[in-house]
Amino acid sequence: MDPVQDTESVRRLYPGRKARRTPAFRVRLTILVLAWALAGFPCSWAQRPKPSDYQVKAAYLYNFGRFVEWPRVATAKGGPFTVCVLGQDPFGSTLDATMAGETIAGRNVVTKRISTPEESVNCQILFLSAAEAGRLNKIVEGLDKAAVLTVSDMPQFAQRGGMIQFVLEGNRVRFEVNLIATQHAGLTLSSDLLRVATAVRRNSPGRD
Amino acid sequence: MLKMQHYSISKKLTWINMLVSGVALLLACAAFFAYDLYTFRVGIVRNLSTQAQIIGSNTVSALVFNDPHAAENTLSALKASPHIVYAAIYTTDGQPFAGYWLDGNGKTLPLPALPAGQTQANWVSGGQISLVDSIIFQGKPTGFVYIQSDLRAINDRLKSYAFITASVLMISLVVALLISRVSQRIISEPVVQLAQTVRVVSHEKNYSVRAATTGNHDEVSTLIEAFNEMLGQIQQRDGALQQAHDKLEQRVQERTTQLGEANKELEQKNREVERATKLKSQFLASMSHELRTPLNAIIGFSDLLAEKTAGPLTDKQGRFVGHVRDGAHHLLQLINDILDLSKIEAGQLELRRENFQIAEALPEVLSTIRPLAMAKNINVEQKGTTGLSVYADRVRFKQILYNLLSNAVKFTPKGGQIEIDYHEVGNLASISVKDTGIGIRPEDQAAVFEEFRQLEAGAAPSHEGTGLGLAITKRLVEQQAGTISLESAVGKGSRFTFTLPAGSETTTTVSTAKSPLVSGGAVKRDACKPLVLIVDDELSSRELLASYLSSEYRIAMAESGAEALEKVKQLRPDAVTLDVLMEKGDGLETLVTLRKQAETATMPVIVLSIVDKTNVGFALGATDYLIKPIRKAQLLETMHKHVSPRADDDSVILLVDDDPKTLELLEDTLRSAGYETQSVQSGARALEVLSSKIVSAVLLDLLMPGMDGFQVISHIRQQATLRELPIFVMTAKTLTEQDLAILGRETQAFFLKGGSWQHQLVDEINRVIQGRRAKAAGQQL
Repeated sequence: MDPVQDTESVRRLYPGRKARRTPAFRVRLTILVLAWALAGFPCSWAQRPKPSDYQVKAAYLYNFGRFVEWPRVATAKGGPFTVCVLGQDPFGSTLDATMAGETIAGRNVVTKRISTPEESVNCQILFLSAAEAGRLNKIVEGLDKAAVLTVSDMPQFAQRGGMIQFVLEGNRVRFEVNLIATQHAGLTLSSDLLRVATAVRRNSPGRD
Repeated sequence: MLKMQHYSISKKLTWINMLVSGVALLLACAAFFAYDLYTFRVGIVRNLSTQAQIIGSNTVSALVFNDPHAAENTLSALKASPHIVYAAIYTTDGQPFAGYWLDGNGKTLPLPALPAGQTQANWVSGGQISLVDSIIFQGKPTGFVYIQSDLRAINDRLKSYAFITASVLMISLVVALLISRVSQRIISEPVVQLAQTVRVVSHEKNYSVRAATTGNHDEVSTLIEAFNEMLGQIQQRDGALQQAHDKLEQRVQERTTQLGEANKELEQKNREVERATKLKSQFLASMSHELRTPLNAIIGFSDLLAEKTAGPLTDKQGRFVGHVRDGAHHLLQLINDILDLSKIEAGQLELRRENFQIAEALPEVLSTIRPLAMAKNINVEQKGTTGLSVYADRVRFKQILYNLLSNAVKFTPKGGQIEIDYHEVGNLASISVKDTGIGIRPEDQAAVFEEFRQLEAGAAPSHEGTGLGLAITKRLVEQQAGTISLESAVGKGSRFTFTLPAGSETTTTVSTAKSPLVSGGAVKRDACKPLVLIVDDELSSRELLASYLSSEYRIAMAESGAEALEKVKQLRPDAVTLDVLMEKGDGLETLVTLRKQAETATMPVIVLSIVDKTNVGFALGATDYLIKPIRKAQLLETMHKHVSPRADDDSVILLVDDDPKTLELLEDTLRSAGYETQSVQSGARALEVLSSKIVSAVLLDLLMPGMDGFQVISHIRQQATLRELPIFVMTAKTLTEQDLAILGRETQAFFLKGGSWQHQLVDEINRVIQGRRAKAAGQQL
């Protein structure tokens, strides 16, 4: 875990230790923390409606990005960190709102709606809508070893070569991980991520 | 600490040592302890922080993917550290996410807000140290870790540290005490010894002791050396002082001895002086007696000679006798003055002060002075406050006045004026005597009152006087609390003024009763005496004449011709003295009138005048003519020629005196007054006569060989038959108070030889003997 991010935007929003020295910044942060403490907490406790599944899932998409060790190749081009949605978009504007202004692996996060698997070449995270279950195998094969983290809430997704599959445990959104797929794509998932996964699929003899 | 002031120096030093080491040690321990506690706490905090961060990083995914179980699993690993009592994960909203409790009570604590700008904070409260750390994942706040640890570790450490500190302190102090006990002696021992030495020196005054020196070369040793040196100096000085003291004592003793000797000498001399004074007084007393006795004879006999009782004298003889008399009187005066002066000098002057009126005393003086003044045709006037009295010795007062007046007469040319004035000034009586004499030069004025000083003024070539009068006067005035002063201008005159204390209003008038002059009693008692009418317009003149005549005659007075004629008719006097120069009515007319009247045609009328008109007087019928000033003897003699006082032939008077000349004089005097006399020359002989013969009186001298006068008086008074015998004393002895007392009690009168005693003697004898006769006559009837 490297908490220090040196880009200007990150520093503004998530102050590191070096930032303490700026008094003006400190004041601003004080206001922020106060706003958190006085306005945010009671609001979140009593009034904020329980987030919808897709709001949670959007946040998870972002966080999956942060718990993955991205290979150099995937991020070398200096372009943005792209989160793609293939097929019918279940998120709507929630995904964009979640990703707006965020960075992952030092790159700005952008969202992209695609309709064909071929367009997923420049994506780092690819969400496949449940409607794509029919051509899942084709898509997985098409991606092959590309460093693209595939996420979907379609059933049997992890078993069918998907990497992370959302599952509902009660009314809580949880996920399963297919390490074989991630390892095949050259992505290393953080052990922390694995610790909170409901299930982790490792080298299955039926595959490969 | 206050008590420390009274501690000994070694105790103080030990105390200071202990205090210093104790404080230093305590400070060091405290600092060390504080530092250790601090670092220990910092260590605890760091430890907590580390644990919080580990927990944070291990719970990030749980937080992110909303898995509290995973977080609780992570937290449960804290069981390994027994000091952590509580740990919890909170979401960024502050919502509790997962918790851990050592005692498992499950009570979630609210998340304290972090101080602004800090991702971590720690604090101590309620015996616990708390730490809040924010969980930051990839620069993004993700949640908070809250860990509480108890402070048992710190408390344990504190306890062990306190124990260690106390032990170290105790041990160190004991060691410090031991060390300072030993080391303080280096400083305190010499000081203590010095103090002991000082005490010995100051208590025993022993300056020979010395303080022990130390081997050191510090301030204390310098002090000791200086003290020893000082002791040495003191010892030296003490010795010198003692020596000086001894010397001084010796000298004082010597001086005392000398002083004692000088004192003894002085006493001896004093005694000698006293003896000399006594001798002088005795000498003067005997001198006065020895001088007065022959002088008495000279005066008496020259008087008798002058009065031609022993037969007629030629003019020349008369003049010579006069010279003898004057000389003798002068000599007498001189002796009296010297005696007075020596009495005053010796402080033996006895004053009998009383209240009396000046106006009473004055005539007695004037009666003496007027003849002198008249001789020089000097008018004497007097004026003053009526009833003014003085408190003084009456005799001495008269003496003062007499001296001043005789002085004035002496120095006033013929036809001059003398004025006596007396008035009151404050509570003093001021009496002045003013003359129109030659005056005294200013430079001589002060000397006037000195003894034996007479003015050497050419204007008055021969003023006979003793030169003592004024000196005596001054002393007499001063002895009676008075002052005397002089104002004078040369050629114009002098004024002597003296003051004496004024007397009180009530004044004794004893003299009036005694005075035979105007006493009615006297007139009655002396009824057998012939009556003389004195006619004179001047009172003093009348009084003078009366005093001259009163011894032998009864007196009546008239102050004018008219009154005289009336009194002559009434009283039928045996004789008349007539002043022919009177203001109211001419005396000569009165004489003519008297001669015209049948009853008085042959009456002896003696004309007295200041003018010499003898022929006219005799032509108009004067029996005799006398020119003023008239001497008593002269008047009496003249009066005797025409009217002789009755004398009783059977009166025998016993005269006792060892001096034949005095006896002769007395015989002569008394016989001329009509008395028979018998003379004896010793007291013993007198007593023999008295035992065999009846006498009417005894006239006695006091100083006689063998039995003296006092013894004779004593013998006489012891005999019953003689107890009433009149005794008269004649003496030249200077009388003491005791003598006077005896004489006053036992005798009828006493006379001092040398004075004008003859007539007084006759007067007194007349009075006493005739009084007795009258009494005897009364008893017979």
